[in-house]
Amino acid sequence: MKKFIQIKNIVKDFDGQIVLKGINLDIYENEFVTLLGPSGCGKTTLLRILAGFLQQSDGQIFLDGKDLTGVEAYKRDINTVFQKYALFPHMNVYENIAFGLKIKKISKDVIEQKVNRMLSLVNLDGYAKRNVTMLSGGQQQRVAIARALVNEPEVLLLDEPLGALDSKLRKEMQLELKKIQQEVGITFIFVTHDQEEALTMSDKIVVMKDGEIQQIGSPTDIYNEPENEFVARFIGESNIIDGLMVEDYKVMFDDKVYDSVDYGFKPNENVDIVIRPEDIDIKEPNTGVLNGIVKSVLFKGVHYEIVVETVSGTSKTVKMHILKNHDRYNESAKQKISANDFTMDLEDVANITDAEIIARANAQAWDDKDEYVSLTKIEYDILNQSGKYAVTFKTSENTSITVTISVVEPKYVEDDKQGVGITAFDFYKTADEIKESMMLSTDLKMWANASAWDLEDDSNIEIHDVVYDFDAENISEGEFDITFATKGRVFKIHTTDAKLENQKVSLDFSAEDIHIMSKFGSY
Amino acid sequence: MKSFARLAYPYMFWISIFIVLPMLMIVFYAFSTQGNDVLTLQFTLDNFKRFFSDPIFPMVLYRSLKIAFMTTIICLAIGYPCAYLIAQMKEKDQTMMILLITLPMWINMLVRTYAWRGILMSTDLSSEIKVLIGMVYNFLPFMIIQIYTSLAKMDKSLLFAAHDLGANKIKTFLRITLPLSIPGVIAGITLVFLPAVSSFFIPILLGGGEYVLIGNLIENYFVASGDWNFGSAISLIMAVLIMASMFLTKKLDYGNKEG
Repeated sequence: MKKFIQIKNIVKDFDGQIVLKGINLDIYENEFVTLLGPSGCGKTTLLRILAGFLQQSDGQIFLDGKDLTGVEAYKRDINTVFQKYALFPHMNVYENIAFGLKIKKISKDVIEQKVNRMLSLVNLDGYAKRNVTMLSGGQQQRVAIARALVNEPEVLLLDEPLGALDSKLRKEMQLELKKIQQEVGITFIFVTHDQEEALTMSDKIVVMKDGEIQQIGSPTDIYNEPENEFVARFIGESNIIDGLMVEDYKVMFDDKVYDSVDYGFKPNENVDIVIRPEDIDIKEPNTGVLNGIVKSVLFKGVHYEIVVETVSGTSKTVKMHILKNHDRYNESAKQKISANDFTMDLEDVANITDAEIIARANAQAWDDKDEYVSLTKIEYDILNQSGKYAVTFKTSENTSITVTISVVEPKYVEDDKQGVGITAFDFYKTADEIKESMMLSTDLKMWANASAWDLEDDSNIEIHDVVYDFDAENISEGEFDITFATKGRVFKIHTTDAKLENQKVSLDFSAEDIHIMSKFGSY
Repeated sequence: MKSFARLAYPYMFWISIFIVLPMLMIVFYAFSTQGNDVLTLQFTLDNFKRFFSDPIFPMVLYRSLKIAFMTTIICLAIGYPCAYLIAQMKEKDQTMMILLITLPMWINMLVRTYAWRGILMSTDLSSEIKVLIGMVYNFLPFMIIQIYTSLAKMDKSLLFAAHDLGANKIKTFLRITLPLSIPGVIAGITLVFLPAVSSFFIPILLGGGEYVLIGNLIENYFVASGDWNFGSAISLIMAVLIMASMFLTKKLDYGNKEG
């Protein structure tokens, strides 16, 4: 096959803002090519330059060997199907399709013949006299395709033409477009941000990002051998792991070396490892490559998405003290007041505020009608050193309660291997407070002041798990362990077999399922 | 929906008092003669006979229609290209241009027409030309804004589509832009023709008293001679003519849609 369209170093800037940074692309005859990328990647701009609606700032495009630079859109043998169809509202279906032919001054009977052929190609026989504004989205779409194809262009450009359709119709039109392309046998250049659409229809996919081509390849190439992390993530959900290429065919992650089919990296080069969710099998414990625990099971319609943790996250365990109900009743004012002891990080003492002390002590007062009474006075004298300090909360009616704040040296758990630090503090609650909590895990995190961070850049890391072993409904006085943990190494797996949460399983994948990508060029 | 419909009652009440009732009174006056009171009310066609028997009245009517027609044609000829050019500008400039075009309308029409009187007094143009200039000046913004609105709201991708299908700029304009802007043109014509045909102070101020239009006749019979019956009859004839012309333009619009 010969190179039919040659795109050579196309650059486009709008008022100094560069949207295409030198695109090089060869397209062959009869190919179904998809430009795929997130919005703002420049795919539509490239399409408009091909159509002739925009002039490139630099570079050239050759169509069948002829330079298109300076050739106006209406003189190009290229037609476009627009995003919102752009049907002419003052013309009926027939007149819309016949528009291009009438412009070319083709005789009436030939026009009629061609239009009717197009109407049956797109399954709209009998719709000739219909008003286009009264058609459904799918029908308008077909008219738009017929209107472009009737001119027998050498190339058809499609600018996200299925974006406005519902998912069922989309699927139908995808198949139909592919069928039409095979029937008319011309080059289709299709723009979309939907990777599934791209994978279904294309002969060749061009993945773009920030005005640059990331990868060009067949759907299977792109899917199985993504060249970088961006492509891997964009083309589908994936497990992407930081790893180390120990030597050719040997890759290491989470302290274990795996066989791989990739080679040609520097010894001990840092790489990204991609393992597709559907390439991993779930087996009985100790029969696969990696053991783990099922964290969540989600039904996705056709398959289950199961998350398995193979290495647990960094954790910190604290004690929760459940105390007797200790409301104070002030008879003269008919008010009740309550507050809890709490533990505080020495580092936080300097910046503590009244509001924070009220929140951490969960101090509140209310009258005999159960209406909240505001706390007007907080007395405390906390020094910037470890120790126990008294805090007194008062209402305007002099109803008061005193609790103890323990200021302690911060105790961190730092996990150098995962690069995570985590901290949390013992705390005091009453049984009622636990029973009344609507979102216990979130409340426990807040009460224990639990937090985790990245050791490298100090950014916040989510505390993913709150593990405890008590029945919140029937809790009584005593001490309870609560463990806070970050997310460890988790794998997403797509399978048709359901598993139970917290079930022990083993994961299995082969050397061919491990795809290694260079860190270079990824973000 | 029913409860919302009730919200229209006060509006309907005001409409009947201020629009329907006066119109009924015009009809009532037109078909009766002066001096009638409610008891001796007599139906008569005398007022209409009088209008058509004296050649001067149909002549004035013809003159009014002619000058309104000319005003409309000139407004269209200037207004369409003007609106088209504005619609091609950047959005910010469009807002500015529309502001500039509507700016004179912030000042009373009477004052502006006086200004024109000063300008045109020393020229030896005919009264008709002077009145025509005044009318075009006063009514042009209505034409421009109507056409501009219909051009601005048009989907620009239609122009790309026409271009893509092989139409050059001129063909794209003739086959897409022009037909799709016809509703704006019709609205513009209506908004220019109607006030032009019944205008009375522009001919008074710029025609120097020698150029009488139908609006002046009506004003004259109502205000100066107090003959409300004949004045009403002229108004009614005007109203019928305007309704007929509106009906025709609507027909034209509809015919265009049918393609």
